[in-house]
Amino acid sequence: MSVAIAPARARSGQWSAEPGFGVYVHIPFCRHRCHYCDFNTYEGLDALFAPYVDALVADIDRFEGEAPPATSVFFGGGTPTLLEPGQLGRILAAVGQRMGIERGAEITVEVNPETVDEAAFDALLTAGFNRFSVGVQSLAPHVLEALGREHSAEVALAALAAAQRAGATDLNADLIYGSPWERPGDWVRSLEGVIAAGTQHVSAYALSVEESTPLHTLISTGRVPDVDGDVQAERHGVAHEHLQAAGFQRYETSNWAVDGRASRHNVLYWSAGNYAGFGAGAHAHIDGRRWWSVRLPREFISAVERDVTTEAGYEQLEDSQRGPEALMLGLRLTSGVELGALARAYGEEFLAERAPTIEQLVGSGLLERAGSWLRLAPRSTMLGNDIVCRLL
Amino acid sequence: MDQKHQRAIAVIAHIDHGKSTLSDRLLQLTGTVGDRDMRAQYLDRMDLERERGITIKAAAVRMNYEADDGKTYQINLIDTPGHVDFGYEVSRSLAACDGVLLLVDAAQGIEAQTLTNLYLAVDAGLEVIPILNKIDLPAAQPDRYGHELAQLIGCEPEEVHRISAKTGEGVAELLEEIVRRVPSPKGDPEAPLRALVFDSIYDAYRGVIAYLRVVDGRIRSREEIAFVATGVEVEADEIGIMAPDPIPVNQLETGEVGYLISGIKEVRLAKVGDTVTTRHNRNAEPLPGYREPKPMVFAGIYPVEGDDFPLLRDALDKLQLNDAALVYEPESSTALGFGFRCGFLGLLHMEIVRERLEREFDLSLIATAPSVGYEIELTAGDRIEVHNPTDMPDPSKFEAVYEPFVDVLVVTPTDYTGTVMQLCQGRRGDLQAMNYLSPERVEIHYQMPLGEIIFDFFDQLKSQTKGYASLDYEPAGMRQSKLVRVDVLLNAQPVDAFSTIVHRDKAYDYGKTMTERLRKLIPRQLFDVPIQAAIGSRVIARETVKAKRKDVTAKCYGGDITRKRKLLERQKEGKRRMKQIGTVEVPQTAFIEALRVDSDGAGS
Repeated sequence: MSVAIAPARARSGQWSAEPGFGVYVHIPFCRHRCHYCDFNTYEGLDALFAPYVDALVADIDRFEGEAPPATSVFFGGGTPTLLEPGQLGRILAAVGQRMGIERGAEITVEVNPETVDEAAFDALLTAGFNRFSVGVQSLAPHVLEALGREHSAEVALAALAAAQRAGATDLNADLIYGSPWERPGDWVRSLEGVIAAGTQHVSAYALSVEESTPLHTLISTGRVPDVDGDVQAERHGVAHEHLQAAGFQRYETSNWAVDGRASRHNVLYWSAGNYAGFGAGAHAHIDGRRWWSVRLPREFISAVERDVTTEAGYEQLEDSQRGPEALMLGLRLTSGVELGALARAYGEEFLAERAPTIEQLVGSGLLERAGSWLRLAPRSTMLGNDIVCRLL
Repeated sequence: MDQKHQRAIAVIAHIDHGKSTLSDRLLQLTGTVGDRDMRAQYLDRMDLERERGITIKAAAVRMNYEADDGKTYQINLIDTPGHVDFGYEVSRSLAACDGVLLLVDAAQGIEAQTLTNLYLAVDAGLEVIPILNKIDLPAAQPDRYGHELAQLIGCEPEEVHRISAKTGEGVAELLEEIVRRVPSPKGDPEAPLRALVFDSIYDAYRGVIAYLRVVDGRIRSREEIAFVATGVEVEADEIGIMAPDPIPVNQLETGEVGYLISGIKEVRLAKVGDTVTTRHNRNAEPLPGYREPKPMVFAGIYPVEGDDFPLLRDALDKLQLNDAALVYEPESSTALGFGFRCGFLGLLHMEIVRERLEREFDLSLIATAPSVGYEIELTAGDRIEVHNPTDMPDPSKFEAVYEPFVDVLVVTPTDYTGTVMQLCQGRRGDLQAMNYLSPERVEIHYQMPLGEIIFDFFDQLKSQTKGYASLDYEPAGMRQSKLVRVDVLLNAQPVDAFSTIVHRDKAYDYGKTMTERLRKLIPRQLFDVPIQAAIGSRVIARETVKAKRKDVTAKCYGGDITRKRKLLERQKEGKRRMKQIGTVEVPQTAFIEALRVDSDGAGS
C-alpha cells in the first residue's frame, strides 16, 4: 500500500481539477427490492453472496489498468451490509492490495439500518471502512412503510447511535423527500431527527419516478398520486433551511455536510474525475474512457471465473465532448467550476463557443460568476437540468 | 338538333338528398350509360368528391331520350355544386338551364340551401319540377313534405313527383314530365355566337376544359374564338359533348351544351360566367351575370416543416391551375415561419384546398384561424383591404373598418325557432324575416357578419338544433363595424399567428379563451411567462405560466454519467425543436393546438 497524505481541503466539497482517484464497488443484493428503485440490485440471490465476493476479489486482483492510489473508495448497492463485515473487509483489502489506498482516504460503505448493530460497525471500522452512509430515508413511520423499507424510524436512529458508539465519526444519513405520502411535518421531523442523531453529512434526494419501476406503474395507472415537482422544490428549500441552521453547508444539489466532511467520492464524480468500478453493473471512467460491467451478478461471476472481461460496454469521449461534460458535471457542485482549470484541461475552444450562452444565463441571473469560477445561482439549484443542457 | 327537341335541366338538392343517384338513374334509363358500366354517382369526378359524397365541380351530360310521343329529345343534365361556398357557380349553372328538378328527401323536407337555390331558379324564370325522393324509406313522410313543397312553389300537392332514385320508381314518368314541362331554348341561331361558360376544370393532359351552353349562333371546331371578360383569344382545338364520356363534335348549335378545349392552361383564363364568342365578334355584348370570383375567407397556411415551403409554393401553383377562386401570397410569421396567406370562397373551399394540398402533395400543414377580408378607411382618406389581422393599422391611423355581411337563411323545425334566434342574435345578427313553410317548419332570415359565421356557427347551429336546422347564406355587401384587433403576447412579445380582428364586444372573450388555452399549452419555463391579450397597448386578459420550480435529477446513479448526459442531450434536442418567441420556448404543437378551430368556441 502506498502512503501519501490527503490534503485537508480534499473534503471541502469544492470542485477540483485534480479530484483524486476513486474506486467504486457494487454489491447488487437486497433483502427486498423497493418499488421506486431502479438500481442494479436483486432479491433472493443469497446463494451467490460467497461466489460474488470471490469474483470481486479476483476481478480486482486481475485489474490491469494504470491507476494511482485511491483517494476514496465507495461500497454501494444494493445493500452491501447483507454481506458479512469480513467479506466486505476482504474486498477492501483486495482494493488496497491491487490499487493502493492513500492514507486518510475516504472509505465509505452504504448501510441499511436493519442489517447492522454495534458489533458490525466495529468490525467494519476494523476492516478499514471509515465512513458510513446510512439509508434512513425517512423518520415518518407511514412514509417508511409506503416506500417499502424494512426498518422503522427507531431502528434507523439506533443504527446511527450504534455507529457512533463503535467510534464512527463520519456518518451520512440518506433521506428521500417529496414522496406522495409525505406531509410537510414528516419531512421536518426526518431532517431534525438525523441532525439530532449527530450525523456530519446528509444526502437528501427527491423521490424520482423512474420508468420500469413498480412505482411508475402505480402512478401511471392512478393508484398512487404522482410526485409534485413544486412540492419537492419546496421541501428542498426546507431541507436547506434546517440543515444550514444546524451548521451544514450544501456542497452539491442534494448533499449537505459540516465543515470538512463533504464526500470526496461524490465530489470526484462531479469533478469529472477518474474512478475504477468493480462488480455487476459498475461504471468506471479513466481519462475520457467510460465503461461498465455486465449487470447480472451471475454473469459477472461467470466472466471472472472464465477469466474473460466483465465489460459490457464502453464509450470513448472525444476531446470535444470532455470539456462540456466536465462543465455539466461541475455545475452540480455549489462551488461551480474554475474556468481557468477547465480551459487548461480541455482547451479554450469549447468555452469560447459557449460564451454567449453563458453570458446570457449570467445576465438573466441563472448562473453566477465569482472571479474565475462559474456556478449556478442559488435559486437555480433545482433547475439545473434546464440550464446545464443548454451548455452541452 | 333543332331547338324544339332540346331540354337543359339542373337538379337542385341538398347534400345526401339523392342528386347523384337520380342522375345515375337518368343516365341508365336513357341508355346513356349501359348497366354494366354503371358506377354509383357517375358524374362526380374526383376521389375527394366521391368520399365526401358531394359535388364540387359541375359536369354536364347529354342524354338522348325517346319519349312516349315517339320523338327523340336531347336532354342536357347540368350538375350543380351543392354547397354555400359555390353559390356563384350554382347561379351560372342555372343560367345555362331552362328548367330545374327540385329534389327533396321525403324523410327530411327542404333544407336552407335548396331553398336558396330554388329562389335563384324562380328568379331566373326557370320551370320548376318538384320531386320527393326516397319514398321507399320507412321514415318517408311524402304527404307532409309534399304539402310543404306545393305551398312553396304554388302547385297542387298531387303535382309533386314521388320517386325513389335508388329503386328507379317514378323516374320514367319524370323523364316524360321533363319533356312536357321544360321549355326549349329560345336563342337566335342566326345571331353571332354567344356561349355561356358554366364550368371550367383543369385536366393534366388536355389543359382547361370549359363547359358551355350555346345561347346564340353556333360554335365550330377549329374556329378562332374569344373569351369576352378575360380577353383571351384562342382556337377551339376541340369541341364536344359528354355522353357521359367526351365525344368530339364538329359544332355545337344554339341551345346545345358541350365542352371546349382550346389550349388554355389555367382556369382563371376561362372563368365561369364568361361569354365565348367568335374572334371577329369579340366586342359582343356579354351574357349577363358574370362576376369575378371573390375570396371571402382568408387564412395563413404554413408547412409544419419549414423546409417544405418551396413544396407548398409549387403545390399552390399547381392547384391554382384548376381553381380560379384560390388566391395566395407569401407571408411570414414569427411563430410559424414562412407560408402563404390564402383566400377562399368559404370554409368548405378552404378545407378542400387544405385537404388536397395534404393529400395530393403529401404536405403537413398548419392553418391559422380563418378570417374574413376587411376594408379599412384610413385617416388619410384611402381605403385598403386587409386579409391578415397583423396588417390592420394602428387605431389612430384609420377612421372606420368595414366587414362583409351576409344574408343568412336558416330552415328549422319550429321547436328550435327560439334557439336559432338566440344563436343569431348572439352573433350580431339582425332579423330580416320569418316565413312558415308549414306549421312545423320555418325559414328565418338574418343579416349577419360573415366573420361571425366562420367561427363554428354551423357547428353550433347543428348541435343546438340536434342537426335539424340547415343554413345558407350569400354576400350582402360591406358594412361599418366596431372592430378591433386583439393581439396575444407572450412575455410582452406579440405572437402574430394569434392576432385576430373581432367586434369590440367580443374582444374580451377571444382574449380570455386564447390566453387560457395557451396557459395550458405552454410548458413552464425558468421564469414566469405572462400571456396577455391586448387591444393596442390596453391589456384585456392575462394569464401566467408560473415558472417551473424543479428540473433536476436527484443523483448520479453509481457513477453512470453516460446516462445523465444522454438525458440532458435529449432535453437539449427538445429545446432545439421549440420555437423561440422572445425568451419563451414554445413547442410547435402548442401553436397547432391553440389554432385548432374552434370546438370550444373562441370568438363565440
